[in-house]
Amino acid sequence: MRSVRESGHRQPKGPAELAKNMTLVNLPEVSPPISSATVVRWLKRPGESLAAGDPLVELEADEMVILVEAAAPGTLAEILVKSGQTVRPGAGLARFEPRSPQLGQTDSSKEKAVPASNPASGGKAIPILMPQAGNTMEEGTVIAWRVKEGDQIAVGQILCEIETDKATMDFESPDAGRLARIVVPEGEPVAVKELIALLADNDADADDYLAGQGKSPAVSVSCQTPTTSPVPKNGAVQKRSTVPAAVTAEGRVKASPAARKLAAERGIELSAVGAGSGPGGRILSSDLRNIDFATSAENGAEIRKPLSKMRRAIGLNLQQSKQTVPHFYVRTTIDADPLLAFYRDQRAATNCTLNDLIVLAVGRTIREFPAVRSQIVGNEIVEYPHANIGIAVGTDEGLVVPVVTDVDTLPLDRLAAETKRVVDQARKGRLENIGKGHFTISNLGMFGVEEFSAIINPPESGILAVSAARESVIVENGAMRAGRSMTMTLSADHRIVAGVMAAKFMQRLKAILEHPSGELA
Amino acid sequence: MADHYQLLVIGAGPGGYVAALKAAQLGARVAVVEKHHLGGTCLNYGCIPSKALLSSAEMLHSVKHADKWGVKIGGAVGFDWTAITAHKDKTIRQLRGGIASLFKGRAVTQLAGKARFEGPGRVVVTVADGSEQLVTADKVIIATGSAPMRIPGWPDDPAIVCTSDEAVHWADLPKKLLIIGGGVIGCEFACMMQSFGVEVTIVEMMSRILPTLDADLGSELLKIFRQRGIVCHLDTKVEEMRIAGGAVTARLSSGEPLSFDRVLVATGRRPNTSELGLDRAGIRVDGRGFVEVNEQLETSATGHYTIGDVNGLSMLAHAASAQGVAAAENACGEAKPFHAAIPSAVYTFPEVAAVGMTEQQARDTDMPIAIGRFPIGHLGKAMAARHQEGFAKMIRHRETNELLGAHLIGHNATECIAAATALIQQRVSLRDVAETVWAHPTISEAIKEAAEDALGIGLHLPPRKVLRIAAAMA
Repeated sequence: MRSVRESGHRQPKGPAELAKNMTLVNLPEVSPPISSATVVRWLKRPGESLAAGDPLVELEADEMVILVEAAAPGTLAEILVKSGQTVRPGAGLARFEPRSPQLGQTDSSKEKAVPASNPASGGKAIPILMPQAGNTMEEGTVIAWRVKEGDQIAVGQILCEIETDKATMDFESPDAGRLARIVVPEGEPVAVKELIALLADNDADADDYLAGQGKSPAVSVSCQTPTTSPVPKNGAVQKRSTVPAAVTAEGRVKASPAARKLAAERGIELSAVGAGSGPGGRILSSDLRNIDFATSAENGAEIRKPLSKMRRAIGLNLQQSKQTVPHFYVRTTIDADPLLAFYRDQRAATNCTLNDLIVLAVGRTIREFPAVRSQIVGNEIVEYPHANIGIAVGTDEGLVVPVVTDVDTLPLDRLAAETKRVVDQARKGRLENIGKGHFTISNLGMFGVEEFSAIINPPESGILAVSAARESVIVENGAMRAGRSMTMTLSADHRIVAGVMAAKFMQRLKAILEHPSGELA
Repeated sequence: MADHYQLLVIGAGPGGYVAALKAAQLGARVAVVEKHHLGGTCLNYGCIPSKALLSSAEMLHSVKHADKWGVKIGGAVGFDWTAITAHKDKTIRQLRGGIASLFKGRAVTQLAGKARFEGPGRVVVTVADGSEQLVTADKVIIATGSAPMRIPGWPDDPAIVCTSDEAVHWADLPKKLLIIGGGVIGCEFACMMQSFGVEVTIVEMMSRILPTLDADLGSELLKIFRQRGIVCHLDTKVEEMRIAGGAVTARLSSGEPLSFDRVLVATGRRPNTSELGLDRAGIRVDGRGFVEVNEQLETSATGHYTIGDVNGLSMLAHAASAQGVAAAENACGEAKPFHAAIPSAVYTFPEVAAVGMTEQQARDTDMPIAIGRFPIGHLGKAMAARHQEGFAKMIRHRETNELLGAHLIGHNATECIAAATALIQQRVSLRDVAETVWAHPTISEAIKEAAEDALGIGLHLPPRKVLRIAAAMA
């Protein structure tokens, strides 16, 4: 587990810095009072800079048009509420980076601005938001709160443990004060920059703030979702047993004109929505309010689904690796008979898998090849003392790589137990030792694959692609015999691992695997 | 030996007669029991007679203001109450005959008498001469309607303290009329009677007239009523009523004692369920006597349905007819839920009409809404035809643009509401309403204009107020 603050070279902007430089643009209270307002359009794009008084966003409420203007010069950092969405007064609309001559002044100007401009949304409460650790992080889950309501919190004190699609980290408080309310319970994923807790001297201020945001503290979150509408959050799929699907036998989709209009505007394929909540399963506009992606399943047409955060993260990572890391490949085929025999002997005693033997062999090999346990960090090559090996695991959601540390020091039985543990955890969605790996093993042998080449999982220096042990003719000393062989391909980062070294690595690995009882026992 | 039918309908009002015709159209052997006249309250004591009287009242109102139209009326303007009531009675007779011939055309058996349950599917019909006949049926639709409420403790002289049942058949007109209840019936009578020269006072317990409709409609009509000289006491109750020497003295909760020569009690209606022996069929009623039904209009007794005022879903004739069709279809083997937008129509002049949610109802659901309004007086047609009173008001869901409610007050509003009802029943987007071409010049253009206003894209009103406000930064 690493702390957010320690990871300076990887996440140049930790949440603490973010919270200091950014302010939240809230929808102010207006007169006459309104219960909610809907964003009509944003007049500025993220990244655009504004002068004080520049219009930022247009909203409508009842019969009123509200033009929210920047209160100070700065840059629109991020839009939090899309057009068409409805918010209550006090709700956050955008993240804003005020322009200030000296960095230290933002804090004092922030403190002045809060009570003056926004009394009704809880000026005395300080919101604690889900941090964005890294550019690709979109949501996070509080695994465990380390503090409780009522505690006095110091700046830098660990508030909770946060899990993202990539990492688990300690979250340090960006502000000091009394923890009045925990808004997000343990285990519930929330988007970055969503409110997770509130600091306030008294509970009433915190509750006022929450009321202004249309939220409630964690204790009641389980029975009350913070949505403003009685319409089911998930849109159309509120099925009743007696209600037929929205698509008729003739293939016509039963939907109200308002639903059709909305679907056309948002690019929603009605036939993919399922039964609506109207009479006879008719799709109503309210069924579509929270669907903002396109789906389709009409005969032979493409099916569209939103790209999951995990898939997006995996994709970006691999793309970056393949485009920036100079891969080169070294392939060797081993005589697998001794390995398989050794595996049959060890299986009962150690509960190991064939893959564990390969992991073990790679670990022992890496012990002799420091370059393969090295990484490029900035202008330096950092050599790690032990071999931490990632094991690629395919899940329904995509590829994950849990890491087993110090493989070079582990005996087979402990390695087998540790591998089983981290893989099981990974399948449950909890990744161990993220970011600690030096080398990865990807084994597609169980699918009968003869050979393949893998993409390096940066910042690691190599990955070994392991194929199936297959029956083949083995030629030994000019004689042929029937046996089993396995092909393995090393993808190495040529910046760290030279060609000869890679070849020697594979030669050594082959030697270990072909003589396991001597090398691995 | 009892006569057996596939469907027995109890009550031949706008719900029952339509249900009987529908079931007959679907091939069922149907009988209808009616203790009084065909057509029920709507035809005999409600919608139709009141509209017959109102048409004369409106004509009289127009003629009295003929000079506004540049029309000269020679001589005194008056009316012939006998001729007016004769037209009303003739209209009623014609329509009753119409129902009878429709029954005949679809071979619906008519049973004149009073029905009471003996058990599920078993009904005894008592004829006027006291003789009884047992009728059995596979399915039963109860459509016995409602009756005006009388207030216990008030003088029980229907010639002086009346309900709408008597008022639509008054042989002569009062001079000073007290109307208790400012709902739809109270307002229609107030408007009608004021035209015939009656001094009208309305006493309403709630803070506005037309309390079941959108608040803006009632306040607009109140303004017009007061301009015409109709006295309206709101938030007021009649504490006590006494008859002395042909005059009625009423003491209001405000302390005022007022004297009238006739009273119309229009405080509501209660369902006709107490004499049906519903418990013997296993049919449950709620505390107020309304029969509980499920979405398919079926009661707690399988195969027994209720429609119209008896189930209390909506106390309107067209609601009863629509439910009649649904219940008949369900009795004939369908299992359709009844979901329909039910418009309300108030035949004052100007007319009031509404469909869908009121602003308050929409706010109570916590939906994000936007309101669009358009004054009817801004329309070319309204100006040219000198019918400038009233407005249209549309309620829009701000996120989905769906039309949630349409509220009209103005000339021909009850005709215009048909368009809005179709739009709400279809659950259209207000963009559809705005993109539809509405004939010019018409009063119905107000619907389009109010829809555009609700979307903030109207052209015939000044631009919306823009509130420029500095962002709150936390």
